[in-house]
Amino acid sequence: MNGLLKNNFYAMRSNGKVFSILMVLLGIFAVAMDNDVQTLIDGYMLLGMIGFSLCALTTPYKENVGKWSKYKLTTPVKRSQIVSSYYISQLLWLLVGMIFAGVGVSLSIALHGYPFDRNTDLLMLFVVGISISLFMGAIFFPLFYLCGEERSEVFLVISGLCGFGIVLGLSTLINILFPHMTTFQIILGAGSILPSRCSPSFSPIR
Amino acid sequence: MENILELQQVSKTFPNADFVLDNVSFSLPYGTIMGFVGENGAGKTTTIGCIMNTLSKDSGTVKLFGTEMQEEDTALREKIGIVYDGDNFPPYLTAEEVSQIMQGMYANWDPALFHQYLQRFHLPPKQKIKGYSRGMTMKLAISAALSHHPQLLILDEATSGLDPIMRDEILDVFLDFVQEEDHSILLSSHITSDLEKIADYLTFIHGGKLILTETKDNLMYHYAVLRCRESQFLALDPADILAYRKRDFQIDVLVSDGKAAQRKYKDVIADHVSIDEIMLLLVKGERV
Repeated sequence: MNGLLKNNFYAMRSNGKVFSILMVLLGIFAVAMDNDVQTLIDGYMLLGMIGFSLCALTTPYKENVGKWSKYKLTTPVKRSQIVSSYYISQLLWLLVGMIFAGVGVSLSIALHGYPFDRNTDLLMLFVVGISISLFMGAIFFPLFYLCGEERSEVFLVISGLCGFGIVLGLSTLINILFPHMTTFQIILGAGSILPSRCSPSFSPIR
Repeated sequence: MENILELQQVSKTFPNADFVLDNVSFSLPYGTIMGFVGENGAGKTTTIGCIMNTLSKDSGTVKLFGTEMQEEDTALREKIGIVYDGDNFPPYLTAEEVSQIMQGMYANWDPALFHQYLQRFHLPPKQKIKGYSRGMTMKLAISAALSHHPQLLILDEATSGLDPIMRDEILDVFLDFVQEEDHSILLSSHITSDLEKIADYLTFIHGGKLILTETKDNLMYHYAVLRCRESQFLALDPADILAYRKRDFQIDVLVSDGKAAQRKYKDVIADHVSIDEIMLLLVKGERV
């Protein structure tokens, strides 16, 4: 697994560098601006989490350019480990995105004050970003393996849209079913969604 | 003699394709090199895919080190080194990074040995593979295949793209490798001169079917080609004819025992036959 994770890191390194530079530049702008209108910092946080995850999803496609994906199957690793390594790498890059988002919003709050209406709004922003990212991975990797790498670009778009769609759908459903949730219920609900999506063992392609 | 690799009746079909790998059977004994010969699309890479489980075969058995390799048998794969034709590693890696990745995959990965090979083949460890020539990428793949101390090397066109001097050096590396009695090599190649130099066995495949598997010495010293006129050809016993090919005023006939054929057919010329000529006769020639 160690070798697979290193391999995924090297595959993602170039995109990760470019995206990190973009996030730093956008972060300077987002933090410097007054956060009375909170959409800028909201967008920055979501971009960080979803963007890094999206970059991580390009790893199997990049490997398919040569014979490396076939070569890996001849090494002493199982197919399930290869698939798990993609999920773990995606989680690690999501963590990087969360750090960018966290640092950005912390600096913005320190400089301009707390911009959100409720205390849980900040938590919910993280939950939305993480959920979209994880749903994207949960949709992309099975599609990639079941339908072939030649359609991976369109699968990337589909998984991104589905990630947004599922999270929006779930939020709408929760708001309709439970219109008056307490802070504790919101935190409990958010906490229960995340672990269920975090485990690669739930993947249908193991 | 015990076999490191045994294929029995291995078949593989592909959806929407005419190609069929049809009941391929051969075995590779310990301590030997087998040349796996066939034209493009003959089924060499498909056979290797079935051996390494990168392709799921439809039927038949493949035994490596006496056992059938399953997905879970990572210990068996520790003992195998593989080189594919073309880009084995992603272009964004350096040789140094390949070593780091392999170290995390193979329990017996030997970074010192890998660096020795890099030095021997003049490969810059910190240069990205996308900057390597085709020959350099093949040398890197060979270095990686040897650096976890495998017992079986499977090489799919590993010497193609190398200049003659480098090919000679690589062939020496392969010969060194099989000095150990429990080491073997399956070498698929179009370059039959390489196989003539190092192979102990030659297996010919054509159109997904195995057409001949034989020791190289037998092919070189006993097989022969009879140069016949039409009347002489008609007088031949069909049982003696492995394959024949009509040319302008001559028919070339491949026989498995040149000396016996010379004694039997005194008016016919029996020539020594090269691996290239055997391949041409088997692939392009006709059977009785």
